Amino acid sequence: MRKMLKIYAPFSINEIKRQLAYKGAFYLWILVNIFGSFISYYLWMAVYGSAETGVLGGMTRNEMVVYVFMAYVTGSMVNISISKTVSDDIVKGTVSMNLIKPIDYRMSLIARAVGDMVYQFLLPGIFIWIGLEIYRVQVLGEQIVSITTILWYLISVVMSFLIYVLFDFCFGMIAFFTTYIFGMTMAKNAILSFLTGQLIPLSFFPEGVQKVFDFLPFSSMIYTPVMIYLGKYTGSELVFVLLRQAVWVLILYAAGSLIWRKVTTRLVVLGG
Amino acid sequence: MSTIKRYMRLYRVLIAQFFKSILQSKVDFFMGLLGFFCTQIFGIVFLFLVFQQIPDLNGWTLEQLIFIYGFAQIPRGIDHLLTDNIWMVAWWYVVNGEFDRYMLRPMNVLFQVISEKLQPDAVGELLVGTILTVYSISRGVVVVDGTHVILFMISVLAGALIYTSVKLFFASIAFWVKISGPFLQTAYQMSDFAKYPTEIYAKGIRFIITWVIPFAFVAYLPARYFLISGSSASVIGVECIIAVGFWCIAYALFQKGISIYESAGN
Repeated sequence: MRKMLKIYAPFSINEIKRQLAYKGAFYLWILVNIFGSFISYYLWMAVYGSAETGVLGGMTRNEMVVYVFMAYVTGSMVNISISKTVSDDIVKGTVSMNLIKPIDYRMSLIARAVGDMVYQFLLPGIFIWIGLEIYRVQVLGEQIVSITTILWYLISVVMSFLIYVLFDFCFGMIAFFTTYIFGMTMAKNAILSFLTGQLIPLSFFPEGVQKVFDFLPFSSMIYTPVMIYLGKYTGSELVFVLLRQAVWVLILYAAGSLIWRKVTTRLVVLGG
Repeated sequence: MSTIKRYMRLYRVLIAQFFKSILQSKVDFFMGLLGFFCTQIFGIVFLFLVFQQIPDLNGWTLEQLIFIYGFAQIPRGIDHLLTDNIWMVAWWYVVNGEFDRYMLRPMNVLFQVISEKLQPDAVGELLVGTILTVYSISRGVVVVDGTHVILFMISVLAGALIYTSVKLFFASIAFWVKISGPFLQTAYQMSDFAKYPTEIYAKGIRFIITWVIPFAFVAYLPARYFLISGSSASVIGVECIIAVGFWCIAYALFQKGISIYESAGN
């Protein structure tokens, strides 16, 4: 474990340094990303304003405010894309360099993603989070979130992160078959924002569809941690959703290894 | 007249080249189309799910909102299809010095930039826009008569021109700051606000998307004219004035930018 840390920690640290080098563009990206959250916020306010009851899809208006912004905070930490690196390496052939080094390619990517995640957590995640809690206490007049909830939430986020990254690794290997990963990535992002609950809480879907979502890894990416944060799961239910996340980490890890072994045995890189 | 003829011919030649390159990679074409199609269609599924819970949204029915949403996609798609290469000016051509080659040829510079590429991904947006518009017309929420049809086309074109102007304006900033991609991205993304009735937003946001970066005039405001019979057609007129005004400002900035452009490198 010590040795692992020594090998892979530099990847994480370098990634944080790299991000810090491009701060200007990064702040604008935050702005662009948060637009979406504000559009949802105003839409939901209008929706609750037009609704006859105060509870929609099992959520009150105040809970929905928390949901929208925590989905953003969670997403900024969890949706760390490594598929672009994977596909770039495959398309350019640089993947061959990674095959001859005595390190695990996927581990090094995950280590870099961890660096990204830490950075995203510090900027902007934590600020929006604190802002939201202040808003919640001052404007909505609610209790501040408890430490135990935060703890469960963070554990869940770490697993969400692993689920996403391991899934994205598999996705990146599509580049073995097509080179135009941009379109695929757009489609993936759109579909994921929907299936993970980023766009709309999954409780708004018809029951049959929700049953299907229970068997997919996507709801574990955003919906589960945010619902934990909202305190919607307690006792055995909480244990169950966390276990489900753990199982998905294992399944996607195994799937990634399998596909990677399959494709690299028939990989041909031309040129030097 | 002969200049126009010459440019028409040039455009045909250049675009023909481009089509050849698309035919080489059909998979990529469908991927891009799928990407933009998915991005836009999920917004509708969102509305659909929400409307299971509420009868109307600030007085708008689901069909009406679908029309606004779909109508917003059409000018966006047209602009995306024709002038996508402007993005490259913002991100790449200026900082990299590749802009040189446009300066050397005896043709209008902007024409060269635009005619270099058609963006087939835009078909995804046009598809969503057309499907949703046809759907809402078939549901009878849209006013259909001679004037409305003509004004519909004018409005779509003016809307596309607003998109192009916003893109050109923010891309031109690259002549001063070298890379203006992030600014352009921010401005362009503002258009997402205009897919819904702008009354739902706070005053500040509403002001910005109506008068500063006028995306409200691309989608929501004209769409309202087509939805409510008897409302004034003057909104389309204002849209055209804004489109032309913004275009003049953006093009002037672009020209100014070209005049101070310095190549990169040694």
